[in-house]
Amino acid sequence: MFARLADLLRAFALIMLLSLVAACGAPSQPENATAGKGPVVLAAASLQEALTEVAGAWAAQGHPAPVLSFAGSSALARQVEQGAPADLFVSADEEWMDVLDRQGLVRPGTRADLLSNRIVLIAPADGTAKSLADLGDGRLALADPDAVPAGKYAKAALEHLGQWAAVSGRIAPAENVRAALALVERGEAPLGIVYATDARASGKVRLVETLPEDSHPPIRYPVAILSASTHPDAAALRAFLASPEAMRIFASHGFGTVE
Amino acid sequence: MTGWLTPDEWGVVALSLRVSLAAVLFTLPLAYALAWLLARRRFPGRILLDALVHMPLVLPPVVTGWLLLLLFGRNGPVGGWLEANFGVTLVFRWTGAALAAAVMALPLMVRAMRLSIEAVDRRLVSAARTLGASPWRAFLTITLPLSAPGIAAGAMLGFARSLGEFGATITFASNIAGETRTLPLAIYSGLQLPGGEALVTRLSIISVVLSVAALVVSEWLVRRSAGARAHVL
Amino acid sequence: MSFDVSLRHGIGERQIDLAFISTARLTALVGPSGAGKTTVLNCIAGLIRPDEGRIAVGDHVLFDSATGLFLPPERRRAGYVFQEGRLFPHLRVAANLAYGERLAPAEDRWIGQGEVTDLLGIGHLLHRMPATLSGGEARRVAIGRALLSGARFLLLDEPFASLDAARAEEILQLVERIRDELAIPILLVSHDRTEVDRLAGQVVPMA
Repeated sequence: MFARLADLLRAFALIMLLSLVAACGAPSQPENATAGKGPVVLAAASLQEALTEVAGAWAAQGHPAPVLSFAGSSALARQVEQGAPADLFVSADEEWMDVLDRQGLVRPGTRADLLSNRIVLIAPADGTAKSLADLGDGRLALADPDAVPAGKYAKAALEHLGQWAAVSGRIAPAENVRAALALVERGEAPLGIVYATDARASGKVRLVETLPEDSHPPIRYPVAILSASTHPDAAALRAFLASPEAMRIFASHGFGTVE
Repeated sequence: MTGWLTPDEWGVVALSLRVSLAAVLFTLPLAYALAWLLARRRFPGRILLDALVHMPLVLPPVVTGWLLLLLFGRNGPVGGWLEANFGVTLVFRWTGAALAAAVMALPLMVRAMRLSIEAVDRRLVSAARTLGASPWRAFLTITLPLSAPGIAAGAMLGFARSLGEFGATITFASNIAGETRTLPLAIYSGLQLPGGEALVTRLSIISVVLSVAALVVSEWLVRRSAGARAHVL
Repeated sequence: MSFDVSLRHGIGERQIDLAFISTARLTALVGPSGAGKTTVLNCIAGLIRPDEGRIAVGDHVLFDSATGLFLPPERRRAGYVFQEGRLFPHLRVAANLAYGERLAPAEDRWIGQGEVTDLLGIGHLLHRMPATLSGGEARRVAIGRALLSGARFLLLDEPFASLDAARAEEILQLVERIRDELAIPILLVSHDRTEVDRLAGQVVPMA
């Protein structure tokens, strides 16, 4: 038994040593502004494909490629609050941008509404549900209605339509709208509410119904430069996001403009 | 004391305990059987079985959760069968969280039990046989009681591991309040919300206390069994 | 009652080839250590299956490679007293004694616990745990346990080993009493010729 313990400790020490060597040997990450990396962009999960393509177009112009991080807007807002070193923030609703604005985390004069969207009721591609009434024993997949914009819009719409009370006990809250989409794609949830752009991006779900635009606050994606931003390209990237070329790309993914 | 956590938060603790308890209890016989097979039997594919049992220990938990999804999701071979024949779904249910926790706890339980079974001197079993005991009776009266401390230690270890299970749970069973939102998931959800520090701190303290308690008990049980009671005298 | 044993068995690099018939009350198997004496006992008890041979005690055939007969150990009614004792550490002495007794069919129990504890002088040890027994005490409990299991014959593996002279003499006298008072054939293994000469009616040498 003692021999085994000694061997175990030796192996452990070796692994630790190797890890240390690897960590020291790896080239240290340059800070944001040095050659190679573009500005850090925190963006709502629903922007994944569109913003990646826009960032690619930006990099194709010869700029360092932006670093993109997609998550639920609430989670991103939290990271900014905690001091995450990011340059741009694109939220899926005004509220999370307001939260940061109130704390002085947004650079004045850089905030504007970039895009709009619609929310839709979806079912798996081979699912049979035709409306919320067909939910049955299953659960309605949506982003967390307490915090994530997509979920908040969904809850607002269902409340407006008088259907929230019936389904509120049968939801599967996901931490961002793409996770909700995945639940429907896999067939774990017979129905879900996601953005129209998400439904379009996925080949495995079927559009059941587009929720009326007047049943929820208008869906707006504000963008802003964060106070903590240090990257020299931040302002130029911010301008590019609103450019006709970028707007063409966003539109091709189903986003609406705001003007 | 009850005012320190909100009723919802107490619900999270209760759910965590229920999920972990279920995970350990239902896995116990399987873990012991696997431990016994690996300790006492030579058979082709033994090394493969050993590796399979240990996989959840070394795979990223998310991968384990995803594999569970493939097997036990509604479209999976086992999940589909369960739903078709018994109307049972595991995703979004506390039973799914228990399954995820059980799979992650299994390797630890098997290891602890295997050690204690190996420590039982086989000559004692032969002695029992010559005294008239069938192989099954010899197992029940000699091997099982002498490996009991290992069973208890394995169960406590598995319980502690289940309490902390996150990656496989959130991937497989999702994060449903009241059903699968165990302590680690509730802490994670709290972290996602700006202003969630107080909640996170409270739940984290509980999590640490429970885990440490389970580990201390497990260690004590291991030390008790290390009193070489299982050896020939 | 007699031992009728013939067996051939390869163990490691050694080949055991033994045949004997004995009607003595106590038969001794002698030889240097490593000769395979314990292996022979294990074969007779059913813990090892010999490559070839036939083993019968009295009228009961326990093993016959010609017919493919092999009785499992629990059906052989062998009272095996191991060299290391092998008392069950989690059971008290009384439970150890009763272990085989409880498993034996009523008609096979030819001796009772009172008689055994008197004969072996272990009545004061019944509530003790085996770990607290001395070498001599443990040896006597092991013999008692074997007797109480409804044994038709006794196998004793080096019963006097690891005991000081006084204890060894005690056990020796016990074995003599068992040989003389209880009608149960005994096969005893030893490397000590003096003990053997004193007890054995027949001596079987092993190379």
